[in-house]
Amino acid sequence: MKAGRPAFDPVLLLAAPALAYMAVVFALPVLVLILRSFGTPTGPSITAYVSFLSDGFNWRVIGNTLRIAALTSLLCLALGYPTAVALARSKGAVQALLLVAIILPLSVGVIVKAFAWQIVLRRDGVVAAFMVMTGIWDQPQLLLFTESGLVIGAANVFLPFMILPIYSVLKLVDPNLQDAAATLGAPPLYRFFKLALPMAMPGIISGTAIVFSLAASMYVIPTLLIGDRFQTLATLTARAFLLMRNEQLGSTTATVLLVLAVSIVMLSSWAVKAKGDSR
Amino acid sequence: MSADALLLDVRGASKAFGSTTVLAGVDLGVHRGEFVSLLGPSGCGKTTLLRIVAGLLGADGGTVRLDGADITGVPTHKRGVGVVFQSYALFPHLSVADNVAFGLRAQRRPADGIKATVARFLDLVHLGALADRPVRGLSGGQQQRVAVARALAVAPKLLLLDEPFSALDRKLRETMQIDLRHILREVGITTVLVTHDQEEALVMSDRIAVMSKGAIEQLDTPEGIYTRPRTPFALGFVGHSIRIAGKAGQTTDGVLTVDTALGPLRAKGSYLPGSPVLLAVRPERVVVGAPPPDVPSNAVTAALTDIVFQGSKVHLHFAAADVTLLVETNRIPPGLSPGATASLSWGLADTMLFPGETA
Repeated sequence: MKAGRPAFDPVLLLAAPALAYMAVVFALPVLVLILRSFGTPTGPSITAYVSFLSDGFNWRVIGNTLRIAALTSLLCLALGYPTAVALARSKGAVQALLLVAIILPLSVGVIVKAFAWQIVLRRDGVVAAFMVMTGIWDQPQLLLFTESGLVIGAANVFLPFMILPIYSVLKLVDPNLQDAAATLGAPPLYRFFKLALPMAMPGIISGTAIVFSLAASMYVIPTLLIGDRFQTLATLTARAFLLMRNEQLGSTTATVLLVLAVSIVMLSSWAVKAKGDSR
Repeated sequence: MSADALLLDVRGASKAFGSTTVLAGVDLGVHRGEFVSLLGPSGCGKTTLLRIVAGLLGADGGTVRLDGADITGVPTHKRGVGVVFQSYALFPHLSVADNVAFGLRAQRRPADGIKATVARFLDLVHLGALADRPVRGLSGGQQQRVAVARALAVAPKLLLLDEPFSALDRKLRETMQIDLRHILREVGITTVLVTHDQEEALVMSDRIAVMSKGAIEQLDTPEGIYTRPRTPFALGFVGHSIRIAGKAGQTTDGVLTVDTALGPLRAKGSYLPGSPVLLAVRPERVVVGAPPPDVPSNAVTAALTDIVFQGSKVHLHFAAADVTLLVETNRIPPGLSPGATASLSWGLADTMLFPGETA
């Protein structure tokens, strides 16, 4: 083979069916949606965006979306990182059991979980009882229909999407690295910040990107756990299409959500790449 | 040498994983500046002993003293024991120089001193030119040298090497062994090497501890282990040997007569008549032909089964009465071909005597 220009690898054609499928059922409709948000009876214009962004209520909706997504990602990270470390360290049956425990909840539909949480998050629910018992709360409080309840519920659904990317990165890390650092005189905290965390960072970044975009666009969970008075871009989009029959508003909110989610994912994959290049 | 000169002094180290005893009360003393190898097959406890010395594993019993201080309960990062791991365990997100600087930075040494120290140790291992390269693209030999420089840069009191050559191909291994020996001598650091490779242990060590089943069978110089193995295991693990089982007969003037399948043979020593014994001799001590008349010797008659030419030496395989006799010479004896019968002889002084296995 000649050096220089690499020959086309026919194996790449294996991606063709999925690409064609995604083009028809994803890229095309999304494109139509975006175009519709610019469409007015008098021709293409950005009036929809101008009026959307000039309404303070909509800024609160964007704020709600980003805040809930960020808090959910943070809770998932706090719970998921230690789990991923334990998972990577474990072996054999224990590891298999942990993996099942992490993946099995995915097979329970969101709607089933959401109704189950309503039991847990009630004023007389398990969480409230626990908080009173430990003395953190003076009296039982309602978690249902609050942002805290929403974050707790959402993190429950998305936790596996944080654990698995971190685990898949950690399991490739030589377990001797920590020992090597210790023999070089590095104390535990130094080993964590200068070695364990940088090693896990690509997994943490991709896990956060996945959970953030899932949480930013979730619809069923906020609808069931907090209801109409709390709007995110996703619930607003659904309202616009289903209730208000305002296709242009729906297309606009959907596009704003899309742009936010895509920029988060692209930013984080750029961060992963920058991280990888510095190695 | 007095006990004060011991840099590393391990007493009664024991370790069990579940019901499996991995170390059964091992003592090991290493003198300042000495190079000692722990040599043994996998599962003999040598790596466990190394990890206990480094503090990476807690012992069930026993004490570890380093430079006079009891470090048994001291965490790894406060021990001053460097380790070169089998996988090298280089930090993949850092450059060559940053790997070497890692320990110095972790110990908060002054920044300008770090730079100079890193440069000095990279020069020592001849990697000065690769300082800014990522460690990922390095060859196995280069990675090993980074690992050595990284371990030495923090000036540990003791350096442990865990099978550091096993990932290298044979040719490179031999040069790296000599190179590393030079580097460690130059630094003057006390070193313990863990290996299952007898040649590696022979090449590098001042003394070798032959380990089997969680115990040290013999701790001696390479020559001492080879010429005066104390147990059949040490005999078998280091170098080739001819082994002939027999029964002890009479002892006359300190020389025991042994009844073997090859006839009566003699060895210096004494056993109760009738007890099982094992006779052994190194292949290069055996000569083809009749023994010289003035030297007390053993002689047997055996049939030549195979000639293996190995360049600088020739292995002659003989057989007699189910015993395989390996003879090492430096040239093929003229007029000898497979199937021929020959007389083999070796000196009484070269005949080693061990207790045999009670059947």
